[in-house]
Amino acid sequence: MGFLWTGSWILVLVLQGSPIQAFPKPGGSQDKSLHNRELSAERPLNEQIAEAEADKIKKTYPPENKPGESNYSSVDNLNLLKAITEKKIIEKDRQSIRSSPFDNKLNVEDVDSTKNRKLIDDYDSTKSGLDYKFQDDPDGLHQLDGTPLTAEDIVHKIATRIYEENDRGVFDKIVSKLLNLGLITESQAHTLEDEVADALQALISKEADNYEEQLSKPTSRTENQAGKLPEKVTPVAAIQDGFTNGENDETVSNTLTLTNGLERRTKTYSEGDFEELQYFPNFYALLKSIDSEKEAKEKETLITIMKTLIDFVKMMVKYGTISPEEGVSYLENLDETIALQTKNKLEKNVTDNKSKLFPAPSEKSHEEADSTKEEAAKMEKEYGALQDSTKGDNSNLGGKTDKPKGKTEAYLEAIRKNIEWLKKHDKKGNKEDYDLSKMRDFINQQADAYVEKGILDEEEANAIKRIYSSL
Amino acid sequence: VSGREGQELVAQEPGAPAAGMRRRRRLQQEDGISFEYHRYPELREALVSVWLQCTSISRIYTVGRSFEGRELLVLELSDNPGVHEPGEPEFKYIGNMHGNEAVGRELLIFLAQYLCNEYQKGNETIVNLIHNTRIHIMPSLNPDGFEKAASQPGELKDWFVGRSNAQGIDLNRNFPDLDRIVYVNEKEGGPNNHLLKNLKKIVDQNAKLAPETKAVIHWIMDIPFVLSANLHGGDLVANYPYDETRSGSAHEYSSCPDDPIFQSLARAYSSFNPAMSDSSRPPCRKNDDDSSFVAGTTNGGAWYSVPGGMQDFNYLSSNCFEITVELSCEKFPPEETLKSYWEDNKNSLISYLEQTHRGVKGFVRDLQGNPIANATISVDGIDHDITSAKDGDYWRLLVPGNYKLTASAPGYLAITKKVAVPYSPAIGVDFELESFSERKEEEKEELMEWWKMMSETLNF
Repeated sequence: MGFLWTGSWILVLVLQGSPIQAFPKPGGSQDKSLHNRELSAERPLNEQIAEAEADKIKKTYPPENKPGESNYSSVDNLNLLKAITEKKIIEKDRQSIRSSPFDNKLNVEDVDSTKNRKLIDDYDSTKSGLDYKFQDDPDGLHQLDGTPLTAEDIVHKIATRIYEENDRGVFDKIVSKLLNLGLITESQAHTLEDEVADALQALISKEADNYEEQLSKPTSRTENQAGKLPEKVTPVAAIQDGFTNGENDETVSNTLTLTNGLERRTKTYSEGDFEELQYFPNFYALLKSIDSEKEAKEKETLITIMKTLIDFVKMMVKYGTISPEEGVSYLENLDETIALQTKNKLEKNVTDNKSKLFPAPSEKSHEEADSTKEEAAKMEKEYGALQDSTKGDNSNLGGKTDKPKGKTEAYLEAIRKNIEWLKKHDKKGNKEDYDLSKMRDFINQQADAYVEKGILDEEEANAIKRIYSSL
Repeated sequence: VSGREGQELVAQEPGAPAAGMRRRRRLQQEDGISFEYHRYPELREALVSVWLQCTSISRIYTVGRSFEGRELLVLELSDNPGVHEPGEPEFKYIGNMHGNEAVGRELLIFLAQYLCNEYQKGNETIVNLIHNTRIHIMPSLNPDGFEKAASQPGELKDWFVGRSNAQGIDLNRNFPDLDRIVYVNEKEGGPNNHLLKNLKKIVDQNAKLAPETKAVIHWIMDIPFVLSANLHGGDLVANYPYDETRSGSAHEYSSCPDDPIFQSLARAYSSFNPAMSDSSRPPCRKNDDDSSFVAGTTNGGAWYSVPGGMQDFNYLSSNCFEITVELSCEKFPPEETLKSYWEDNKNSLISYLEQTHRGVKGFVRDLQGNPIANATISVDGIDHDITSAKDGDYWRLLVPGNYKLTASAPGYLAITKKVAVPYSPAIGVDFELESFSERKEEEKEELMEWWKMMSETLNF
């Protein structure tokens, strides 16, 4: 049964073979592959074993990522699939040469004819080795053993290729071929993408280890994303790492190196995290000043915000939305801006604790009140002098004794109605007195706030306070 | 004619409004509402009195200052003043943006007092409104202009003095002309809602905007208003978008995508005002062209083209739907007429407030129940989208009918729901959006199984 199925795969693959001719290959590669195959088939057993071991090592230490030309096409796909079927495939010349600490081992690994290897490559020691990428072929071994490639392996291979290529177009091509062949459905293609993304992430993690960076574990940035696979985080990390490594633009890479150094993703916001943010001195100082016990959440939120913003800036630079210089200056300004705003917010929280109008859970009223107050403050600067004079005029004109009396009477009347209504409304007898004093406090506070905002003048505020205190 | 003992000025015609001088508080009162013109100090006092009487449901704040430094005062009425309660729609009334159009200013002062009184009397309609809406009342957007107009001696106020702000800017021509942009977008493709996203910066840097205009723009951007009305004088009609004609001609019906609901909203105001809704009433002035008026309502462009107005600015820059109400043939009528204007408009003002609770409303959240702010809610067949506010809450005014609503947000899979909308109240429709990554999670598991199966098969 399995063999039959394998057979059908072979057919399919062979059929697919023809378009591949269109891809650039050195002439005579076909012959060479045959030639090579014979050579490889004759390799001593110990070499093959060495290759297998190298492969295992290779899986844990992926080769250094170098930009390569993406000549990958359905051929690569076929490589994978054909590996399963132990069939010779049409080989493709790998244009890019990759240097890798494991090149020798890779050379040795290349037992299987699936690799396109020129004779000259074998014997030319000046060349660093073949660009095997991740096409070492454990499959070959598996084939020999009779065990097929597992799903995980395939995913891993694809992921490694993407990682090395730094181009997810590789994946797209493979998937589209699979889809065209009807081997997978759309939904499965999406799922495969996720699988690959995961494997990619793992690769990057290992890569990070390799370069003595801290382990880039994805974190939950906000409570919203808690528990979800951090899909967004992964590609960003991948892109940024790849970007840093592969980009030739020095200024960009310098910028990103700086911010990359800052970029640490850890699961918990422990004390250690703060050191990373030391590039933001004001922010760092603020964080330290926040009482960890009382305002742990505040602290966590701040850190989350900061890291999220750093990521966004890096993404913007990466995609060219802003220039690297702008990105750096933005990050520099960010530090101060956030520190300032948060400081204001914390101060406001303290002062507004009692205020009925600014209950703790509602940040919107903060912002709203802030903006209206801000606006008033702004205008005050510009029109302060004018404002004073007109106010003075208005309250001095006409009326004289009649006016203040009339006003006070009106306020008295209004307050009386308020108290009456409160009494009626709050039927609980004991609470009456309590409510009144509470109301008095509230009114006092409000009156002061209104004076500050220019809604009441001092006289009026005092009159109101007097009325309430006399009740 | 009310008792005018104690009037200090001499050369005045009897019955003339006592402009330019201070008077004793009138006896012409009803339940705390004094039917007289309020200058700036009196306006402030009146609002303070309302606040003092209804402290638990009101709050006074200012959105900024006029050119001459007068506060642009707002009285807010709600069961939790100062707070946007998730799901509670926000409403505003703005009056007197033309300083010499005085009736709106006074009506809004009366309204504030009235709502407070009725609330305390237990008037169910008012109590419900205040508990379920956050009402913002700004009696005057142009206090400087009003002072100028009110200071004029003599009986007849000038048709123009006091109209514009202290800098001579007509505030209702001073808003960024988004109509023009939309008309271009209609031809060439482009959005017709939430234009000029980075508005605050543009606004602050624009030297041509009056301080009053800037203050209102910030106000609109800060609070997720759903419905609004802008009170004027000089005619008697309820006017709705678009105000600017598409072709640029003087008169042309220029409908916006929400023409049906706007007609309904305008009618909700006019139908309770007997004079306004009287189709057979003579025009205010002999030569006026009232041909576009239908049951006391009119499309803006059909009446006459107004570029840079506040009404259309609301619709095109935010989620807020606003109409313009012209309350009186005379811009600054005699004081004695104020009481009757109140009687004529009282029910309209309440009726229009109630229009806030129509259509569809609800929340847009993710699968964990967290709000998704700024999600887009689009209605099939209406080419104008609205967005959810910070708590994920949205309100979509619609005339009765069957609709398909789609909620979408970047990174999430859009969801469409069918809704049958009555005249009132608003139907609640919530959306729980699944993010792309969540969907991939599910599919990934599917694939895992498939691969397992496949590898098992090959393992043969």
